[in-house]
Amino acid sequence: MGDAQGGALSARARLVVAFVLAFGIAAVQGLTLLPVVAVLAGLALAMAPGRRALLRRLRPAALLALAFLVALPLLTGTTPLLRLGWLTLTVEGAEAGLLVATRLLAIVTLTVVLLAPVPPFALVGAMRAMGLPGLMADLALLTLRYLDELKAELGRARLARRLRGGRARLRDLPDHALLLATALIRAQARSERLWAAMRLRGHGATLGPPAPGPGTRDRAAMAAALALALALPALDRGL
Amino acid sequence: MHLPDGFVPVGLALAGYAGSGALTALALARLRRLPDPRAEVPRAAMLTTVFFAASALAIPVPPTTVHLMLAGLMGVLLGWFAMPAILVGLFLQAVLFGHGGLTTLGLNGLVFGLPAVLAMAVWRGIGRRWPDLGALVAGGGAVLLALALFAGIVLAGMPAALDAGVERAALGVFVLAHLPLVLAEGLIVLVLVRVLRRIEPGLLRHG
Repeated sequence: MGDAQGGALSARARLVVAFVLAFGIAAVQGLTLLPVVAVLAGLALAMAPGRRALLRRLRPAALLALAFLVALPLLTGTTPLLRLGWLTLTVEGAEAGLLVATRLLAIVTLTVVLLAPVPPFALVGAMRAMGLPGLMADLALLTLRYLDELKAELGRARLARRLRGGRARLRDLPDHALLLATALIRAQARSERLWAAMRLRGHGATLGPPAPGPGTRDRAAMAAALALALALPALDRGL
Repeated sequence: MHLPDGFVPVGLALAGYAGSGALTALALARLRRLPDPRAEVPRAAMLTTVFFAASALAIPVPPTTVHLMLAGLMGVLLGWFAMPAILVGLFLQAVLFGHGGLTTLGLNGLVFGLPAVLAMAVWRGIGRRWPDLGALVAGGGAVLLALALFAGIVLAGMPAALDAGVERAALGVFVLAHLPLVLAEGLIVLVLVRVLRRIEPGLLRHG
């Protein structure tokens, strides 16, 4: 499978590299290697095209990381670091917050940089080539095909409900359920037609041609990622 | 209610993959017994899409809003298909929107998948005879189990030890904040089941 951007790596290699690096970074337990992890993610982001769009996709993860940085020093640990009135920030909590926030941001950054350029359909093809059961690949393909339609369907139904005077209140929960039921019923009929059309065009994972094996660059990237992922926890324990 | 990357130890994350893998293998084995498992794909994909989109749908529960999980609904409508459908949905959410994570995909699969399997069992057990009760218990019970699993994993994976008082308080706040979601999802599954039984009973053929 060629690269989505016409560049170096196939979707399969990008997926493997993303998973391997994610686990390597998640295995870092100490603070010493955190700067290395941060620089690695920063470099990947700096070298990636379309940085502004990537940064937008990182915003939820950055907010979550900030929440960990603020909450963990208040909730965990026993050694006082700072007292702010009745609030006490702890050393252990601050360290835990820094560790979790850095790992989270680094993993999400690398995932976004590696996988954002790959069209979702190519990603499913790569998963299929890596052994994802055909039934699950078919499921993913149809889910992707149907996502935009359902979003539009729900948006139209919500707008119609609002125009009829419906408001966002707890007692309106049954209305939300009715809205969901209507969307489900319409979606059912449409999804069966869509699936039939996809099968006729050969889009089903078990009907499509098998993806080619990894190329030299793919193998090199996967080996480098594996080496890095093994080195990070080994260095972490050694330091 | 997604566990993010970087929060839990790698051992726990790998255990999550093992658990989710085993549950998915069991589900796929059950599905292969169907005369034509691929014929079920459109409905499963549709529910996966709903599950996917529901994470962005905010339901007002004053003074805040909550996001639907729909694990109970998946179990009721999809039966054993719910587990692979949930894993596909979680993977796409992690890759496309950054909800959840790659390392925590297995754990999140268990947090959502086990409650879906429970909802399926509840629906099949009591849904035929008492459909309203079955739907309410399946929808609300799935959220309760997901809450328990999520809280257990968070406590097990916390990088620094919580003191007992803070632990109890944090858990109390977490459960209280999500109790409206238990009622909301129970109610939503109940209304949905009522509507589907009247208009499109074919969608409930697992019951």
